[in-house]
Amino acid sequence: MTDLLQQSTSLWNVSMFIVAAVVLLLVVLFFVTYAIYFERKVIGWMQLRTGPNRVGPLGLLQTVVDVTKLLLKEDTRPKDADKALYALAPVLAYAPAFAVLAVMPFSETIQFADLGIGVLYYMALSSITVLGVITAGWASNNKYSLIGGMRSAAQMISYEVPLVMSVLGVILMTGSMNLREIVEAQRDIWNVIPQILGFCVFIVAAQAELNRTPFDLPEAESELVAGYHVEYSGFRFAMFMLAEYVYMFGMGSLVTILFLGGWLAPFGLDFLPIPGIVWFILKFLLYVFFQFWIRATMPRFRADQLLPFAWKGLLPIALVNILITAVVISFQNGTL
Amino acid sequence: MLGFAKGLGYTFKQLTAKKVTHFYPDVPYPMPPRFRGIQHFSPEKCIVCNQCARICPTECIQLTGKPHPDPEKKGKIIDTYDINFEICILCDLCTEVCPTNAIVMTNNFELATYSRDELFKNLNWLDDNNTNVREEN
Amino acid sequence: MSMNLDMISLNSEFSEGTGLRTEEMLLNVGPQHPSTHGVFRLVVKIDGETIKESLPVIGYLHRGTEKLAEGLNYTQIIPYTDRMDYLSAMTNNYVICHAVETMMGIQIPERADFLRVIVMEMNRIASHLVWWGTYLLDIGAMSPFLFAFRDREMILELFNELCGARLTYNYMRIGGVKWDAPPGWIEKVKEFVKHLKKEIENYHALVTGNEIFINRLQGIGKFDAKTAIDYSLSGVMLRSTGVKWDLRKDEPYSVYNRFEFDVPTATEGDCLARYQLRMAEIEQSLRILEQALGQFPEEGEIMGKVPKVIRPPQGETFVRIESPRGEIGCYIASNGKDKPWRMKFRRPSFNNLQILPKLLKGENISNMVAILGSIDIVLGEVDA
Repeated sequence: MTDLLQQSTSLWNVSMFIVAAVVLLLVVLFFVTYAIYFERKVIGWMQLRTGPNRVGPLGLLQTVVDVTKLLLKEDTRPKDADKALYALAPVLAYAPAFAVLAVMPFSETIQFADLGIGVLYYMALSSITVLGVITAGWASNNKYSLIGGMRSAAQMISYEVPLVMSVLGVILMTGSMNLREIVEAQRDIWNVIPQILGFCVFIVAAQAELNRTPFDLPEAESELVAGYHVEYSGFRFAMFMLAEYVYMFGMGSLVTILFLGGWLAPFGLDFLPIPGIVWFILKFLLYVFFQFWIRATMPRFRADQLLPFAWKGLLPIALVNILITAVVISFQNGTL
Repeated sequence: MLGFAKGLGYTFKQLTAKKVTHFYPDVPYPMPPRFRGIQHFSPEKCIVCNQCARICPTECIQLTGKPHPDPEKKGKIIDTYDINFEICILCDLCTEVCPTNAIVMTNNFELATYSRDELFKNLNWLDDNNTNVREEN
Repeated sequence: MSMNLDMISLNSEFSEGTGLRTEEMLLNVGPQHPSTHGVFRLVVKIDGETIKESLPVIGYLHRGTEKLAEGLNYTQIIPYTDRMDYLSAMTNNYVICHAVETMMGIQIPERADFLRVIVMEMNRIASHLVWWGTYLLDIGAMSPFLFAFRDREMILELFNELCGARLTYNYMRIGGVKWDAPPGWIEKVKEFVKHLKKEIENYHALVTGNEIFINRLQGIGKFDAKTAIDYSLSGVMLRSTGVKWDLRKDEPYSVYNRFEFDVPTATEGDCLARYQLRMAEIEQSLRILEQALGQFPEEGEIMGKVPKVIRPPQGETFVRIESPRGEIGCYIASNGKDKPWRMKFRRPSFNNLQILPKLLKGENISNMVAILGSIDIVLGEVDA
């Protein structure tokens, strides 16, 4: 697929790109639909309930009708909202969520862009979403959404630092920011083992980046009702919802690639005739399940303990991890 | 860190635990025999003593009697009997004071309607509500 | 307490140093808000997320129970009390029956007294379970709510078998109780006690040890014993400050003096202490239940000798008992008729809520929810 990029522009390869992008979009939409379904099922099972079971066989069409309902709903807007920003915010939140998927190598062959700075691209683009969230919080002209927006800004910016710092260890080990090379470098051992400290920091910070339990303060239902999207309804709300779950898709892919060996088979099972994408999906689903599991268990962080936890807790650990990694690598290279 | 790991362990175990969901509208929900549902009223037993209307805390029972058609017999028989289920709180006091068990509770509890007018139940309706009648009163 | 919102004035400050202007704003929490546990409204003045001042606005669920009672005879008032503290209707039933019985000097048969204690303690457990679930929901954990409701459902089912209703029991009558325990009911309660004893361990595993949860509650909503007494707090709110005061122990009513149980207290006076006390109270209630079920008389009357028309003698009386939320009291002024001349309920939720503005000062919005939840109010009782 990547060799399409090397070819000169022609009608054929441009249309191929468009087709591939649409296919990815559909895959993502399918994932989001069923991620929501499985989230509700898994949490339901953990809470002694059966989860959705009314629409379609086993409730499989539940999310489909939910989304249809959202799309058919009247598009409401508060009277004193900032019209332009109110409309812009969901787009701003959603567009980067989809754009980050371009660099993800889902298997050896399925990748859209093989950037040399894949990790950086992901981090840079994903931080645009926080702008969408703040914009939504401000433009809705609602105090709850304003507080939600502010919390979200503080949280996402703070947790981005340990997130990036925890990845640095992996980058040091690989010597590259290219996601494909990072996966290839894990042939012998997955990064999760030598980088266990970085992995833990990454998982926690990712949770905060995704605004998911226990870091769901920006939309804390019991405090801020719904936080930054309290005034949104219909398809604009659907965009926020979609952004949230697409980010989960993105973050799941990133964790798989950075720490869990991407499409590589685990435990030396390379001889099995299983395509890499299957391994990728399995690892990815493991992460997604972990998300749901956490959500079914954890209470929410307190707003005033959130930032100290990032700056005084996670960041030092991430820095120590970098230091240890650097020392070990220097030692191995004989430079120390 | 052990604390929250314990919690995670507990929720994980529940994945396969027995679910407690009732499939209520599909599977009827059985109520125990003493359940206080919509009243059943038997006009033939009523002696028009008016006790139920007097004890009702929300005054949702209205009744009128008429002289017994058989001139030989004394007393009255019931003419109209209405319970307004908009305000009835199913407190069981009417059935408790009734000396002849003319008004008794049933296990039926589905009262939802599209119009509140339909919640005004008259003698015939209450007479026909004769399924799942409570035994102990 | 004045309900005038003009009382709150908003400041805007200009800081020379940073060149930033900050402004306080009013945030209206409720009456429709997921964490006000009903129709409770709280107007808070916030600076950023810090609460400067708060004004509780109550009365959205006011039905005038006390005034209505003046037009009803004593038996008719009992179903109304079900609707005050709808999470523990049995204690409300008891307090009015107890008041009238005290006035008239009615003797209650032993079996009825035991049944009353059993249902009251079960109701206390049910009420604390609801509190536990909803409090964790406020804190942001979803699952405990459903686990708590599964077990509460068992209690409600047992009540349903006993008196035919799941929430508004109308079970007690002046002089006794309406229904005797159906065959096999006592055994079912025994089984439930065993089941819940096991489940409590799981509750602790799920929540109590969680570091996020502990850090979140420790040290917030703190007050000392003197403040608690000054604000006329009762129940767990009072006991969390170290005052050992439980009417079941200190002014025993019914047959409570026959049972052995502890009154758990803590000295911290914060939300975590209140959480731990309520959990400990569930265990103590289970202890009482076990003993009550063990000593339950084989047979006997369930109604004492009561005149056909209940007419307490002229005079007044005030009784108080320990409800799950604190001291619930009932004052009756009778002029010798079958209806009270004046009836007044001391509702613990209402009294406990008074301290809220004091506790909220200087806290942030996440703590607001945690503190309000730890008071454990039932709006039906606050507004009566």
